[in-house]
Amino acid sequence: MPPAHGAPDDARRVPHRPGDAMHDPSRMHHMDNLRALAMLAGVLFHAALAYSPLMQPFFPTADRSNAAAVDAVIWFLHLFRMPVFFVVAGYFAARMVQRRGFGAMFRDRMLRILLPFVLFMPLVLWALSASTLHAASTVAHPSPVLQWVAQFAAMDDAPPSPPSTAHLWFLYYLMLFYVLAWVVDTLGGARIGAFLRGLHPAGLLVALPLLLAPALAMVSAPHPAPESPLPQWWALQFFGAFFALGWLLQGHDAWFARLRPVLPWLVPASLALHALFLHQLSLHPPGPANPAATWSLALLQAFTSVWMTLACVAGARLLLAWRTPLLRYLADASYWIYLAHLPVLFVVQYRLMDLDWHWGWKLSASIAATLAACLASYELLVRRTPLRRLVGGAATSPSVRG
Amino acid sequence: MSPLANLPMIRLLVAKDWDLFQRQLAAYVGAGILALALIGSAKPWTFYLGSLLLLVVLVAAACFAISTSLLTERKERTLGFVMSLPVTPLDFYLAKIAGNLVTFGVPFVVLVGGTAGVILSTPVPDGLLVWSLLVFGHVLLAHAVSLSVAMAVESEGWNTFAMIASMVLVNPFIMMLGQIPAIAGPMRGEAIVWSAEAIAILSTQVLLSAAVIGFTGWVHCRKRAFY
Repeated sequence: MPPAHGAPDDARRVPHRPGDAMHDPSRMHHMDNLRALAMLAGVLFHAALAYSPLMQPFFPTADRSNAAAVDAVIWFLHLFRMPVFFVVAGYFAARMVQRRGFGAMFRDRMLRILLPFVLFMPLVLWALSASTLHAASTVAHPSPVLQWVAQFAAMDDAPPSPPSTAHLWFLYYLMLFYVLAWVVDTLGGARIGAFLRGLHPAGLLVALPLLLAPALAMVSAPHPAPESPLPQWWALQFFGAFFALGWLLQGHDAWFARLRPVLPWLVPASLALHALFLHQLSLHPPGPANPAATWSLALLQAFTSVWMTLACVAGARLLLAWRTPLLRYLADASYWIYLAHLPVLFVVQYRLMDLDWHWGWKLSASIAATLAACLASYELLVRRTPLRRLVGGAATSPSVRG
Repeated sequence: MSPLANLPMIRLLVAKDWDLFQRQLAAYVGAGILALALIGSAKPWTFYLGSLLLLVVLVAAACFAISTSLLTERKERTLGFVMSLPVTPLDFYLAKIAGNLVTFGVPFVVLVGGTAGVILSTPVPDGLLVWSLLVFGHVLLAHAVSLSVAMAVESEGWNTFAMIASMVLVNPFIMMLGQIPAIAGPMRGEAIVWSAEAIAILSTQVLLSAAVIGFTGWVHCRKRAFY
């Protein structure tokens, strides 16, 4: 495979055993591994929200036992976890378009993104709603949101709750970005892409956060999830930039080599910025008094997001470009875990709310139980069934992995 | 030759139109997503700006599809080439209808759905839904009339008049809706009120659109030659 197609060098060196996906040279191991780790980070993030003091008024499973240390960790993770997913998605979409064209990419994404979104969203919304309503009437130590839900459910003329895409907003935005990628490409965006790639990576490290800060200044800090069924302007701008970044960098390995001199500094610099962010956040906590982030908070979020996302993607090329059965398995199961983890997590955490455990034990138990249930259901419902074609890992067709 | 027997040729004609239109269609789709995002911001000024942009996109998409697929084709003598292909007037008619269904119908359906989503999921009063659907109904009817005129009449002047007049009539139509208490009244409320007047107007728009397109098809069915 020519380097222009973006296959890592190591993939070409390792002999390919026919029929063995583990040794498939077209497989991007660093991207697969990055996706698996980002998915695990997602489960950790959602589980930890219950023990975050900042999220006490907003999260349904918010627990009595919580710690400020949780906030320090999860809001750092929050700033680059989803951007990494969007970079990976943009990268693979560009790869498929380069190989098979937009028509094939749209057909594949209709099957792998739109169809699961349409099929699973009602199930996810029903499961989240049912477990929350049940918890509102049974949990002895309810969170503020559960108390509000209990009052709401008792009203005779309660208005319907506003429509939401829940955590599946990622799939919804992916579909929008695939369409927008076609729009930009059709209108001659390749020339702009070539120009942007020609800039020195150091320029991008400064210019991109400055471009993204206005989007983050439109919403509260830490930035929320754009769960509304309507496209949100700030989210199109913020996450779209990362999708575009992945798209532009596909097949351009030399760009990462140019980034390498600054790579070791990105993580410590981001940690320093995050410390500043936490300090600023303590002065301007989210809530009715601060419906939008201050410019300093928006800038700190933007710089940390860009720097950490690039550190993860570039770091993965150096540190994760190897094969391991465990990460490969998790990468294959990651889509199913993404779809199923939140409803399972809510059920588990509602059960834990009345226990007098330390938050650390509750966090560990909820992550372990959620992952166990998701992996067991992956084995039973997906891995060896036709569902694998929709939400399983790369199986038989190269189209599945782009 | 039955239209079904010539399906490959119809498909090729649609593909030709798609090749010619896709740059402009991409611009309309991009502008449509931008308009929905502006409306979704749920601030008064972004809502009005987004609504205006949405209407401009719809009208522009409707006029552009007709102008490029039919009028420019005649002007640039592409039709002469199409006539040299093994196609009947009905094949040509079906290809143009299918092409316009893609270039106008797809953005139209997406934008109608998006607008309904905006109204139902944001603080914008839900009562606005009926009024919005009636305005979309007018754009649909205007497009059907313009398309039929373009297929039946060769004069560029009459075609331009039909397109501009039918689309500009959206202004008096909106004013007329404002004068009907059963439609204007519930607009600012949260209840979605399908009054008899609203149902009658929407039904007329949909039925007239289908009738105009159907009548043009019937005329083309009877044609033995293009002219």
